[in-house]
Amino acid sequence: MEIISEFGDTYSTGLRLTLELTVYALLGSVVLGFAIAIFRVSPLAPLRWVGAAYVEFFRNTPLLAQLFFWGFGSPLLGVRFSSDPLEGLFRAATAGLITYHAAYVAEVMRSGLLSIDKGQLEAARSLGLSYLQMLRYVQVPQAVRIVVPPLGNIAIALSKNTSQASVLGVAELLTAGELVESRTFRTAEAFAAVALLYLIITIPLAAGVNWLERRMALAR
Amino acid sequence: MRPDTWPLFVDPNVLRFFGEGLLLTLQMSFYAILLSFVFALLLALMRHSRNPLLRWPATVYIEGIRSLPVLLMIIVVNFQGPDFLRPVFGEDFEIVPFWAGVIGLTIYTSSVLAEIIRAGIVSIPPGQWDAARALGLRYHHVMGSIVLPQALRRMVPAIVAQFTTLIKDSSLAYAIAVQELLSRGKVFYSQYFNPVDTLLAVSVVYFLLNYALSLASRRLELGRALPRVARDIALRDQAA
Repeated sequence: MEIISEFGDTYSTGLRLTLELTVYALLGSVVLGFAIAIFRVSPLAPLRWVGAAYVEFFRNTPLLAQLFFWGFGSPLLGVRFSSDPLEGLFRAATAGLITYHAAYVAEVMRSGLLSIDKGQLEAARSLGLSYLQMLRYVQVPQAVRIVVPPLGNIAIALSKNTSQASVLGVAELLTAGELVESRTFRTAEAFAAVALLYLIITIPLAAGVNWLERRMALAR
Repeated sequence: MRPDTWPLFVDPNVLRFFGEGLLLTLQMSFYAILLSFVFALLLALMRHSRNPLLRWPATVYIEGIRSLPVLLMIIVVNFQGPDFLRPVFGEDFEIVPFWAGVIGLTIYTSSVLAEIIRAGIVSIPPGQWDAARALGLRYHHVMGSIVLPQALRRMVPAIVAQFTTLIKDSSLAYAIAVQELLSRGKVFYSQYFNPVDTLLAVSVVYFLLNYALSLASRRLELGRALPRVARDIALRDQAA
């Protein structure tokens, strides 16, 4: 693919931004998703409702709408991600990816937390552990094993969905392809290069998830 | 928030404007669901086949396409699709953006759906195959009347979840200038400077659509007793 070396700067910037979006958004959605999952398994019904409402709303609306909201709506609500507008768009895209994928992360984590046998939780409580201690020492450590492989699948989906940040104007991989296409009119080549670079990200990720699945299955 | 623009949302002309967008979203989703289900069934059967000439192309297609963003496919079909098909349909051949969107969504969704259907097929105990073959049934009878009906039934929740993903992804046709629901939201808020209100209203429509669909699939209560292996395969792509 000589077009990649011909437009090395454009493609490498695109690849870098795609990877950055993936990493930041993944970290963010794991943190937010974990908080929502804790809400969803909470003994307090109102907290459970808030968690469920979040998951159902953000999972059933388009990611693109959420990206538009963070990119073009939130500034009107007084949210400024950065004084540098380009950096601001990058962060808005990250925020959109986080709010969307956190809903999926929360569902995975919730099913992980609920898969721990109730007897264990009752035993922990009757031994005098507080609710938070039970979460910290009994429920969460065991849930982590179950949760890791499906989280890997969310990471793959997220890395693909970063392409939607192109609509906000973030110069990630797909934007790079569009730039090269509009400069050269070599449409097929320009986008084949994009596809190849996405595969370089997603195929190793998929292999990693498969490996994790097998490992965790043996450990169980 | 711009409460002063709220009365606009019940203005008949504005309602018609958004209604036409919703109609396009629904039409695009409908055609893409129909087409991708047919292709997915074909791909799943090919990948499940023992003949390597059928199995390999299906495997490469499924694994390759599943690893790429759907937005890339929509854009490539819109840019390159006509060029690609001109040798077949003549020099004047064009693909309108609406159909480019449908084709892009179909290419992606059929690969994901094929894996869901295949997971359903492999979840049927092999004893049923043996029994049916021992009774003298041919492959297409076993597959068509015994295995597939059970497999599809088990996979209803996963299949419906993929359809809700498709409905959400149809908003990506914004990138190729199809005037569907979300694109119209953008047109609207660019005129009235109320992105928060408009995006919320549009999102609620998508939410109602998808939530109703997933409630319906839960109400059907199919696919409950799914073996773990099949569920794992089926859930692999649910975060798209």
